Amino acid sequence: MSTHALASLNGIRKRFGGIAALDGFDLAVKRGELLALLGPNGAGKSTAISILLGLHAPDAGSAQLFGHAPQEIAGRRRIGVMMQEVALPGVLRPRELIAQAAAYYPTPYDVDAVIARLQLREVANRPYGKLSGGQKRQVQFALAICGRPELLFLDEPTVGMDVQAREALWKVIRELLHESCSIVLTTHYLEEAEALADRVAVMARGRLVTTGTVEEIRAHVSRKQVSFSSTLSAEFMRGWPEVMTLENERGRMQITTRSAEALLIKLFREDPALADIEVRRAGLAEAFNELTTQVASEKEEARP
Amino acid sequence: MSTAIAMPTSRLWAAYFSEIRFEFLKALRTPGFAVPTLFFPIMFYLLFGVLLGSMRGNLQMSQYTLATYGVFGAMGPGLFGFGVSLAIDREQGLLRLHQAMPQPAGAALLARAVMAMLFVAIISILLLIAAVFVAKVPVTVFQAAQLFSINVLGALTFCAIGLFVGSWVSGQASPAIVNLIFLPMAFLAGLWWPLQFMPQFLQDIAPAWPAYHLAQMALGVVGAESSGGVLGHVAVLVSFTLGFFLLAVRRMHGGGFRLLGAHPKRTVAIASGAAAAVLALSLSGVLGDGPAKAGDAPPAEAAATGTGTPDSSAPVGVPAPADPVIANFDQGSAQAAYGMGMVALGDERQGGSSTAAQRLVAGGAGGTAGALEVTGDLKPGAQYPFAGTYFFPEGQPMEGLMDYSGRKTLSFHARGDGRRYTFMVFTGTTMGIPLMYNFQAGPEWRKYELNLADFSAHDFKRVRGMAFGAMGMDGPFQFQIDDLRIE
Repeated sequence: MSTHALASLNGIRKRFGGIAALDGFDLAVKRGELLALLGPNGAGKSTAISILLGLHAPDAGSAQLFGHAPQEIAGRRRIGVMMQEVALPGVLRPRELIAQAAAYYPTPYDVDAVIARLQLREVANRPYGKLSGGQKRQVQFALAICGRPELLFLDEPTVGMDVQAREALWKVIRELLHESCSIVLTTHYLEEAEALADRVAVMARGRLVTTGTVEEIRAHVSRKQVSFSSTLSAEFMRGWPEVMTLENERGRMQITTRSAEALLIKLFREDPALADIEVRRAGLAEAFNELTTQVASEKEEARP
Repeated sequence: MSTAIAMPTSRLWAAYFSEIRFEFLKALRTPGFAVPTLFFPIMFYLLFGVLLGSMRGNLQMSQYTLATYGVFGAMGPGLFGFGVSLAIDREQGLLRLHQAMPQPAGAALLARAVMAMLFVAIISILLLIAAVFVAKVPVTVFQAAQLFSINVLGALTFCAIGLFVGSWVSGQASPAIVNLIFLPMAFLAGLWWPLQFMPQFLQDIAPAWPAYHLAQMALGVVGAESSGGVLGHVAVLVSFTLGFFLLAVRRMHGGGFRLLGAHPKRTVAIASGAAAAVLALSLSGVLGDGPAKAGDAPPAEAAATGTGTPDSSAPVGVPAPADPVIANFDQGSAQAAYGMGMVALGDERQGGSSTAAQRLVAGGAGGTAGALEVTGDLKPGAQYPFAGTYFFPEGQPMEGLMDYSGRKTLSFHARGDGRRYTFMVFTGTTMGIPLMYNFQAGPEWRKYELNLADFSAHDFKRVRGMAFGAMGMDGPFQFQIDDLRIE
């Protein structure tokens, strides 16, 4: 499989101090896809990315970037990187920062074209240190794409951006995908992954839990949400085995369940006047929560 | 998989160049860095070296401090550029980002080092301009070039020390730590205050500071008192530089920073090659004030025998007559005991219009028969206006050499119109800065005595001439001299 992968990690183990950050982790990025890497804090997302970028060497396993070791510059000349919590020099201007980054690449985009594409014209000649948080993220994004990358790593790209800026950035991301650029995205905003990702990889505790399209991930999860208006009391329904959670919002009930059909039959039997019924499959957020908590509890059980 | 587009060599060079350019811009636009590093050396020089020096009528002070503030200026950019800004970039993630991006191997280090050298080049030029045009220190083009290269290449040692600091301390603590290294080392290496005036134990430990070795080389160039051979100093500096550099790189490597790219050994090999080139340059004499000889190395010996200046391979002068008297003007003539002189000369040959004349007068110092009166008129025109009377001990003026080694003191008597005059001794086989000694010629005769051990940078094996005269003033002057002797 790795012959088709632009970048891959195979059986990676990495410990920091006594803690296993990655515990036999595999990942492959295909051409033209947006792969969203999801997982709770401490799942090993940033360790996995930093090994792919050559910032850390794995204890075991292998990593490749365009067929090269990530430490080799040849592979990294084909990628763009946007990291979290990087302070660029405040005295330089966005135009200068983009020109500096573009100089690292063999065939970068024109600096002015990048500025225009990300609507940075107004701030292009202002000291970077004087920009707002959202504008800074946009400049960092510009640095990531200015080298005409075939593979783009984006770590929480839209943190601190307002809605318009986020939409504008999503638009550019979609254009890049259309130009067959691959993207690895880590994000806390699940709606961002839902909106953009072709494929989602869910991590927990240093391992890959599952990977698939957003739809496939959702399908992994049998939970559904049933909401309705009813005269039945919440206390009465809480005792039912089908009910996992129940919320009562001013007479409108919301139940999470693994067996929606059985629940509905029971509800109609108890309350023929049941109204405003809505059955919804779990969103990515619920799926994600269920998947990662499953892994967590398996691990707990596995302990002697 | 599509094939990669190779990075053309021209673009790779351009990437290094752009990295240097933006590092330099960054430094220039950071007042906390640019102002102290660029302006403190020149400010201190003008205040302490030039203003205080001219108040005391002491050209040697302007000369000494030209060398030492140059070294002071060479310390700042490297120490702060690496020690502070690298620590901050490391902490704030920029170093990691650039490493994940295809920043060319070693560019982060190279750009900073070149930035530091450019800053030191600017500082050195500012100091030389102030020395030549404000303090009127006589500096030849060759000496200026030597001081410039000593400072600019010496900056690398402080880059390495800064890198070492930057690899250890946090960004917040780094300015304090760097200042704790910078300021005490500048003082202890004799950059602010000549080492000779410091307690003995401070003089004894001075060779432990890299700045000391750079300062000794620079002092040797301006003809001030210095000790040690050029080769020895260069060897110490290169060892300091490589040592700190390797320690820092190892430390950073442990933290996941490949400062030298994916193939650090290759880069270390290149760095060692560069270090060898510096050694070779110093051996060939480009970096010192002449070809270094192995015999120059022991500093104490060189200072004691007064042969600190190189050129020790050149033929020494004719042995001096045993009689200490050079000229006493008691035999009814202005003629010296040997050689040619005294000869009154203006500076017409140097493009000036200052004039000088001399006559024998009765009533010498200590009741002797005669003395020599020198009068003249000092006018601008020459680069260093000077007029007075000269003595040439041997052969053609300024060409024949006389060996005065082994003599301990040079003395003369003088009186005059109350102004400050200069006594000079021209030494060595090449035209360098002469020994300059200022004296105030008051109405009464007074004896002036030079302890030759204090002027060990001057080569008394090869003395070409001596002169008494006026410089650094305007208009007519008058003074008398008597009983010039060396014993």
